[in-house]
Amino acid sequence: MHQQIPHESAALHVTGEALYIDDLSSSPSLLVGRVVSSPHAHARIASYDLTKAMKAPGVVAVLCAKDIPGHNQMGPVVKDEPCLASGEVSFVGQAVFLIAAKTDAQCRAAEKLIDVSYEPLHPILTIDEAVASNNLLGPARTMQRGDADTALRSVAHVIKGELRTGAAEHWYLESQASLSVPGEGDEMAVYCGSQHPSETQTLVAEVLGVRKKDVVVEVRRIGGAFGGKETQGNHVACWSALLAHATGCPVKVRLFRDDDMIMTGKRHRFLTRYEAGFDNEGILQAVKIELNSDAGAATDLSFAIMERAMFHCDNAYFVPHMHVVARVWKTNLPSNTAFRGFGGPQGMAAMESIIDRVARFLHKDTSEIRHKNFYGLNSNNTTHYGQTVEENRLPRLFDELMESSEYYSRRVTVQAYNAANEFTKKGLALTPVKFGISFTTTFLNQAGALVSIYNDGTVLVNHGGIEMGQGLHTKMQQIAAAELGISIDRVRVNATNTSKVPNTSATAASSGTDMNGAAVKNAIETLKLRIAECVAGMFNEKNPSLKTSKDDIRFESDVIFDSKHSERKIDFAEAMAQMVLRQVSLSSTGYFRTPGIGWDREKGVGTPFRYFAFGMAVSEVLVDTLTGATTLLRTDILHDAGDSINPAIDIGQIEGGYVQGVGWCTTEEIKWDDAGNLMTHSPDTYKIPTARDIPADFRVKLLENATNPNAIHGSKTVAEPPLMLGLSTWLAIKDAVSAVANHQIEPEFSLPATNEVILLSIDNLRGQMKARASKQVSA
Amino acid sequence: MKSSIAFVLDGKVVEIDFDRSSQLTPTTTVLNYLRGLPQHRGVKEGCAEGDCGACTIVVGELTANRTIEYRAVDSCLLFLPMIHGKQLITVENLQELSGKLHPVQQAMVDAHGSQCGFCTPGIVMTLFALYKGGSRPSKDEIGDALAGNLCRCTGYEPILKAAAAACDGQGRDHFSADEAGIAELLGSIAPDGISISTESQRYDQPATVNECLLLMEKLPDSLIVNGATDVALRVTKKFENLHHIIDCSRIAELRSVSGGDRSLTIGAGVRISEVMELVRNDFPGLYQMLTVFAARQIRNVATLGGNIGTASPIGDSLPVLMAYGAEIILRSRRGTRHVKADSFVQGYRKTDRQPDELIMAVMLPRPSASARIQTYKVSKRRDLDIATVSAAFRVDLDKQGMVSDITLAYGGMAAYTKRASSAEAFLSGKHWDRKQVEEAQNLIDKDFSPISDVRGSAEFRRIAARNLLLKFWSETKG
Ligand SMILES: Cc1cc2nc3c(=O)[nH]c(=O)nc-3n(C[C@H](O)[C@H](O)[C@H](O)COP(=O)(O)OP(=O)(O)OC[C@H]3O[C@@H](n4cnc5c(N)ncnc54)[C@H](O)[C@@H]3O)c2cc1C
Ligand code: FES
Ligand code: FES
Repeated sequence: MHQQIPHESAALHVTGEALYIDDLSSSPSLLVGRVVSSPHAHARIASYDLTKAMKAPGVVAVLCAKDIPGHNQMGPVVKDEPCLASGEVSFVGQAVFLIAAKTDAQCRAAEKLIDVSYEPLHPILTIDEAVASNNLLGPARTMQRGDADTALRSVAHVIKGELRTGAAEHWYLESQASLSVPGEGDEMAVYCGSQHPSETQTLVAEVLGVRKKDVVVEVRRIGGAFGGKETQGNHVACWSALLAHATGCPVKVRLFRDDDMIMTGKRHRFLTRYEAGFDNEGILQAVKIELNSDAGAATDLSFAIMERAMFHCDNAYFVPHMHVVARVWKTNLPSNTAFRGFGGPQGMAAMESIIDRVARFLHKDTSEIRHKNFYGLNSNNTTHYGQTVEENRLPRLFDELMESSEYYSRRVTVQAYNAANEFTKKGLALTPVKFGISFTTTFLNQAGALVSIYNDGTVLVNHGGIEMGQGLHTKMQQIAAAELGISIDRVRVNATNTSKVPNTSATAASSGTDMNGAAVKNAIETLKLRIAECVAGMFNEKNPSLKTSKDDIRFESDVIFDSKHSERKIDFAEAMAQMVLRQVSLSSTGYFRTPGIGWDREKGVGTPFRYFAFGMAVSEVLVDTLTGATTLLRTDILHDAGDSINPAIDIGQIEGGYVQGVGWCTTEEIKWDDAGNLMTHSPDTYKIPTARDIPADFRVKLLENATNPNAIHGSKTVAEPPLMLGLSTWLAIKDAVSAVANHQIEPEFSLPATNEVILLSIDNLRGQMKARASKQVSA
Repeated sequence: MKSSIAFVLDGKVVEIDFDRSSQLTPTTTVLNYLRGLPQHRGVKEGCAEGDCGACTIVVGELTANRTIEYRAVDSCLLFLPMIHGKQLITVENLQELSGKLHPVQQAMVDAHGSQCGFCTPGIVMTLFALYKGGSRPSKDEIGDALAGNLCRCTGYEPILKAAAAACDGQGRDHFSADEAGIAELLGSIAPDGISISTESQRYDQPATVNECLLLMEKLPDSLIVNGATDVALRVTKKFENLHHIIDCSRIAELRSVSGGDRSLTIGAGVRISEVMELVRNDFPGLYQMLTVFAARQIRNVATLGGNIGTASPIGDSLPVLMAYGAEIILRSRRGTRHVKADSFVQGYRKTDRQPDELIMAVMLPRPSASARIQTYKVSKRRDLDIATVSAAFRVDLDKQGMVSDITLAYGGMAAYTKRASSAEAFLSGKHWDRKQVEEAQNLIDKDFSPISDVRGSAEFRRIAARNLLLKFWSETKG
């Protein structure tokens, strides 16, 4: 426990042995499936004729909505997402037909033979257009404390503003894929990359019109997900299952990269408006935030995502009077979906913009304003939804990071650099993250496990969580080995399979380790109790004069022994052989539900989170003010991972999450054209960070002595929160841009800060400076 | 002429006869070929366009002194005939028979360099090529080597560490031990030209310029490829059937380099990575531009001739060749001619090259000592990105600091690479100072009317183009 062991699949990764969906071989009857999607953002399907396509060489089936035996639905929460469009299409890339053929080329050839005509309808493609036509997906929601309107009237200063944050593509390296294998009767086995196999199982059963007992969904590992396969991994699974059902053959559907990018949802774009009141010291008194998100064409998880944005638009700051109103807008784009942070980043970006502007307004260092507004340890420590911020690590993180990053001395250096250089400017920013851990839909906070011990002393762990690179299975392996006191190589974590652990929640909300770890532990506790009882009996049988109680039995170093009489011991493997001979069951389920949480969604108050994760980053950038090019010079991160179960894995999560955040904040720009076509539909035009885009000097540390009483083995989840530390880069760039006008003018700025945004912002500043100068001359 | 190809894989010579294969065509990519083999599924497809590196493999090539040179390449952009006579190395080949991991694999495990693992085989192969490079790479070289491999999970830091730990400057491994044997196998593959005809395709790989020119004359509709990094996308992304390809990558003459005190002539078939080494000291402006040309896997295959051949308005080399006053050498059965780089392109992807002409070489005159040349690429991301605006500038100043000659060549500002002629005219004979440069900046607006597209708005392009001139001045005023 708490060791830096390598990822359980590391050796398989580096040798290329690790299997992903497209690597699975199946019978020679395997067919390739292809999804034919809508070329229109909004249109009526006037007519179609599939006969020619069906007769094309190699084609085994061509399906449309009418051919779906069960429900034509794959909406995870709200049933507003047809599996195949019927009647109308509502975004470019919406699935309309399915083809199964021997080869991909045959599928593509058949696609050309589908005769379909559309009558285009008017599409809504931006939040602004949705607002103009009042195209709300659901009623507005508010969350508030105090009376912001009244408070704003009596504060010393008020700033108002607007912020646009962009969509982003998950860009998991393994595109969406699924292999469905029909069995006897209604049986269907689905091998796919879903973060939520139980939901996949439900939806596959529903579209096929069969019952769940006949559908098995298995996920060995996913080649990256980041939220993009939480609900939208279901789609390919349903499509491949429909084709497998129709043809009676195994069918694999793997989305070509461009198709994946065109068809699947992204991070929600947000348009945020805010009004913030503060005193001369920069202490926030009242903040009003209006959040608008672009949900795309269907509900998906948009309301939960917006809810998390509402919960996180305070980020790390206490605001006595806060009013948050949120609206989710429907547009004719693919349904936007979960993406690491789940609305949190968009909410935090708004608050961090506010703080940044307050500092510039008062001509103070932004870190000072941040520090003044942090939640307190004993007072000013309740959020706008009434949860107390316990185990608040913000002040500690701040003090330690300011020191280790040499913030103050670097601030001086940056200023000197900027004074001496006209065409390049440096910027520096510190940003914190406070992130609530739990699903905000409370019932989802449950997990199951099934642990089996074999009579050779090896252990197979099943649990409901998915391995998608985050090291969950490694941590489960560590937990199981530690609980049983055995070496790690005796434990294997099985592929996640709905026939082993039923009715699970998604591996999401950063909850994977906390919940599944507790469920695994629970299963092992049951087993240990059985084993201890039997082993104590064995010891006592040998020498009845000494009494070993089951409570004295210990499991350590591959041995089971009596802690009071250490000579009474048995090798773990030998003991397991004995258990079978002595008719002890060596298989047990485990279960966990997160205690102590609950909140009132109507009122917007309560304790939605089990605990908060905290982190902080300082980033320094160099901006070429003539080209808009940015270089990330140095980033220092101090993150709270509790007593980390595996520091190497957690640091990997922090580095990876941060760099993903940097991508969202800098080069990752999604663009649609006027007809709703995705223009950035491949890595040619959609730019995620490369190896030379990471900080030249990258220092990541875990906060020491930071046991978390609220999760397994004192640990704290890492997963999502570090992504939001990317905001430090965004604000460092803004700081550098602002230096062009010597911090006297508030720069126009949006997110991502691409070279274009930077250059246009600087051009605007230079224009304003010229105007000011000429005004001064004429005055 | 043979209709089959041969290469070394898994320590054996493998032959593919396209007449007998129902699955493979001459434009089947090496990626798809390998993924069709049960024992080589480690190679992954992430994009099929050269932008992610998941498909990275290493190609071993016999050198003149019978050693093997190892280059990382994107297998998704390689047509099968392009590996004729070469060694294919995939991630499955790295482990020793005993099961011992290769040093780069072990370093990746030790540094926690994989998370989801999907990018990992490609990354391992990039590291393998770096390891075999036999030097101790600096941090920037490691970053450069890896810039063509996207990883969405790790944030790269552990991978950079693994590279630094593994690349010990020796490059010894079981491949070193087997090298002589492999060299022998490679040597046994006949160096003849290839001509493959299938039902719907013809693919010729002539061995000499004359053979090539004859074919071009005979089959005027054929498509020339060299590295195919541009052409392959028509197959991998647009799913076109290319009917007739003349692949000139085996023509030795196109790979020749010559020169002296006055000029350097680089064959059209010289790969970008090799061009970089050739121009590093004497043509730093070109070198500079090529450091941000695609990524190493592409530069290891793409050629200078191919880059010019695309005549892309956002191709990296053309503006630079204009600034250096380069000449492009064309040859057909009718004869050889030289065309100035700035009159070579005539419109959107339209050049002065006639259908029967082969781009033979580029002649770069060595710039005078007084010439100041700088090149710039404005792209959203530094590495592996296409220019939104690019520029190559040259100014010659006389003793009084007056502009005696100036070239301001821009990419991305018009339908083809173009010079800012009014700004050039204005600056000629002027003092090279900020005031004049600022006036010339305004003229750049008159010289171009750029478009808005996915890479940037017209306004952004205009500002960037103006700024680049000021940047050039600030870097050359001293
Ligand atoms: C991921 C990716 C990134 C890229 N990044 C860049 C970049 O940063 N900058 C850049 O400029 N380009 C870039 N490219 C484009 C391409 O790689 C280059 O243009 C490359 O130089 C083409 O060379 P090649 O040998 O591969 O050409 P090929 O694909 O073989 O040919 C390209 C064109 O030139 C013609 N041609 C080739 N050789 C000859 C010849 N000897 N005579 C006559 N015609 C010929 C062909 O008919 C074809 O039209 C990128 C491509 C990819 C896939
Ligand atoms: S598959 Fe992405 S570079 Fe080849
Ligand atoms: S480890 Fe997942 S993409 Fe690199």
